[in-house]
Amino acid sequence: MKEINLTVNGKKHRIKIDENMRLIDLLREKLNLLGTKEGCGEGECGACSIIMDGEVVTSCLVMAFQAESADIITIEGLEKEDGTLHPIQQAFLDEGATQCGFCTPGMILSAKALLDKNPRPTRVEIKEGISGNLCRCTGYNKIVDAIEKAAILLEKGGN
Amino acid sequence: MKKRGKGVGIIFYGTGYGNGFPDISKAEAELQDDGKVAIYVGATEVGQGAKTVMTQIAAEALGLKVEDIIFINEDTMVTPDSGTAAASRQSYNTGNAIKKAAEALKALIVDKAVDKMKLNTNIGLKVENGNVFVKTFPSRKISFKEIAEDYKENPLKVEEEFIAQTTEMDEETGQGAPYWPYTFSACGVEIEVDTETGIVEVIDGVLAQDVGKALNPKLVEGQMEGGFAMGMGYGIFENLNLKKGKMKNNSFTNYIIPTALDMPDIKNVIVEDPESTAPYGAKGIGEPVMIPVAPAILNAIHDAIGVRITETPVTPDKILKALK
Amino acid sequence: MKKEEIKLKLNVVGKNIIRVDGLSKVTGRAVYPQDIYMDNMLYGKTLRSDKPHANIKVDISEGEKVEGVVKILTAKDVPGHNYHGVLFKDHEVLCETRVRRIGDPIAFIVAETEEAAEEAMDKINVEYEELDGVFDPIEAMKKGAPKVHEDGNIVYHYKIRKGNVEDAFKECDVIAETEYKTHMVEHAFLQPEAGIAYVDDDGMIIVVASTQYPHFDQLEVAEAMGIPTEKVRIINPAVGGAFGGREDITLQIHLAMAAKATGRPVKCTYSREESFVAHCKRHPMVMKCKTGADKNGKLLAMEAEIVGDTGAYASWAINVLRKAGVHITGPYEIPNVKVDSYAVYTNNPFAGAMRGFGATQVPIAHEQQMDILAEKLDMDPMTIRMKNMFKLGSETATGQILEESVPLDRCIQEVEKVMNFTQGKKGGERE
Repeated sequence: MKEINLTVNGKKHRIKIDENMRLIDLLREKLNLLGTKEGCGEGECGACSIIMDGEVVTSCLVMAFQAESADIITIEGLEKEDGTLHPIQQAFLDEGATQCGFCTPGMILSAKALLDKNPRPTRVEIKEGISGNLCRCTGYNKIVDAIEKAAILLEKGGN
Repeated sequence: MKKRGKGVGIIFYGTGYGNGFPDISKAEAELQDDGKVAIYVGATEVGQGAKTVMTQIAAEALGLKVEDIIFINEDTMVTPDSGTAAASRQSYNTGNAIKKAAEALKALIVDKAVDKMKLNTNIGLKVENGNVFVKTFPSRKISFKEIAEDYKENPLKVEEEFIAQTTEMDEETGQGAPYWPYTFSACGVEIEVDTETGIVEVIDGVLAQDVGKALNPKLVEGQMEGGFAMGMGYGIFENLNLKKGKMKNNSFTNYIIPTALDMPDIKNVIVEDPESTAPYGAKGIGEPVMIPVAPAILNAIHDAIGVRITETPVTPDKILKALK
Repeated sequence: MKKEEIKLKLNVVGKNIIRVDGLSKVTGRAVYPQDIYMDNMLYGKTLRSDKPHANIKVDISEGEKVEGVVKILTAKDVPGHNYHGVLFKDHEVLCETRVRRIGDPIAFIVAETEEAAEEAMDKINVEYEELDGVFDPIEAMKKGAPKVHEDGNIVYHYKIRKGNVEDAFKECDVIAETEYKTHMVEHAFLQPEAGIAYVDDDGMIIVVASTQYPHFDQLEVAEAMGIPTEKVRIINPAVGGAFGGREDITLQIHLAMAAKATGRPVKCTYSREESFVAHCKRHPMVMKCKTGADKNGKLLAMEAEIVGDTGAYASWAINVLRKAGVHITGPYEIPNVKVDSYAVYTNNPFAGAMRGFGATQVPIAHEQQMDILAEKLDMDPMTIRMKNMFKLGSETATGQILEESVPLDRCIQEVEKVMNFTQGKKGGERE
């Protein structure tokens, strides 16, 4: 057992963990943040993508202890307290960018990390930005549309 | 060198179980206390949009808004059997069952409205936005909610079923009418083959899909794009590498499905030609959307390099071997 | 409904209504079975065959000694019928004496933690007496091939006999004769199989799992558990894609047995690798096609033989190879058609439903046949298709009349508008 400090979705936590615990298990099982999905367990599908200190990581490949002092954003951290969706979430909804939904949280977080760094990406840059996130349902076009739309919404002064 | 080619694939697809197997969907519609209507079906939402289009069908038939339909499909304890979410059959089959149930509930509600408003006929009544009213005198009306008040203990509920037409084929000649309806589709692609590496890139695509009637065009497009990607993966990427019954490629590390970078921005064309036996004319499209894609790619590869590849998947090694 | 009625103003149908399950999905609140945790819950793991064909003897005694292991279920623990399957009941819930493919389930370990279950899995001793396997469906059809099931390897033979192909081929000016092979593929839905089962106070067994057909799962679970259907309840929460891969039973019965045997909730989540091995695949097919046309490009005859490899179990093989047979002509009027379509057992992973269901494989053949004929006739690929395609009133190879909603011509025109095949502009070369 080991104790770590980390910030998740703006909230500070001090948590006891096993040395061999993965970050995804910490999020899901210790913090009950079930929006982070496990699709492959080897960092290939991106369903477990989260933002850690500004970078997208696949939380199945990060050990929990590596998150010491980290600042983490999961899908649960995107909505405002009053339930207002983040512009990326709203755009995914409006553009039909989600189908089965299992890749969606990770996809949205990859999109956020991309737009945080590059507020007006081209379609090719968007595709590169989400190329680590597999989706088997949508064929990606509507996801790219949604991220383009979200970029415009964010520029107009969303959150 | 990079060589470009174009190819086309066209297909037909018979929806439903087929060959005379009873293809049955059941649906229930129930008036709720608050005037909303609950629809119960055993049809699974696998991501294809069943919940949404079926809610639309119910709302349309009942003259309600989508928000006024409570759609329940997750539990065998409370839902009737609506068959499997396969064979591109749910929009057509369960959609039809829902439409029948919604229309039957509407007729029942109208009957009750006639009694409650002390009218002597249901002729000339209209149902809209959760109200039943006299068309020529709209202030004479009653809401679904007011009608529901009389049935708090025992809500108004109807069950309907739809059975698709399918006949068994002759065992010796295969003659018969196995499926109905059929859905049609055509796909054109432009590809680029790198003759050094053998890599095929799909750079452009158009998919024209017969849908009967699009219940929700955006969801249809989502199916088309998803089908295109899966068809592309089938043709040129995905390979289990089966050796003596063992899948050597059994994870996403080596079983390669298309990523966003592989998928071109395709043009979707929804072609409508309503089918009279279908709910609002809508035919199933979940499978046909992927079917013409791989053959179009194979034809485009031949157009590009002049060699016909007859074995899938057309992975780079096969291209290089063919070019030798 | 008449077509005029369809043209009536629609208020909801035909509109881009936002997906009703979308909000829960973009917020991460949608509940998939792996997201369900219950108090006092146990974990299940499946021990699977690593041999494609073998007689087995299973000794679980060392596994039972592992701390945290609550129960190890084998074939003898199946309370009802030790079988399931969508058409034939040819799958065993847990294999008793013989395995027919890599991945066949042998034991289901139930433990306090996943780690304990995994440790026990390593300690269960399975003695394999390997049998000759057959991995090529053409070989499997031959006399003397190892039998995957007792009744022989040919599961099904579908035939079309329409007109007279032999005479018709004599009339043909051009003939394309080619053998095509398609491969086995995986659905790769993003959500691996997962489920949780428990028994309620009334003795009802509740199985929560992602499935395409909850009412069929209910029947399968009830038969294997030896209880009435109404004592089984299937709850089907969010499903992370399916594409045909969630038609057959995977973990539903194992979970029901485990919950019943232990009296506690039992959860099981497959890894990606286990998901690959647990559910069906797309049938690989060998398709020999001979297609002939006259000098104007009008199709006169097609003869096709299709052999589909259904692997170790039938699943939907009959329906899939039937669908392949019906669709191998492509959407074309052909007056003379002879089709023989076979489904064959091998010791490969089992094949079943996957998007297109037999109709996805056959266009790999018929659409290349059309291009080959077009080339021989010095015709562009669109023109030959337009000369032969199904239109209103066409008769299919099974004699079915397409009496409405056949807008294939419009589909083709839309593709032609974008791609300009008839302009004869073939692909050029670039650096």
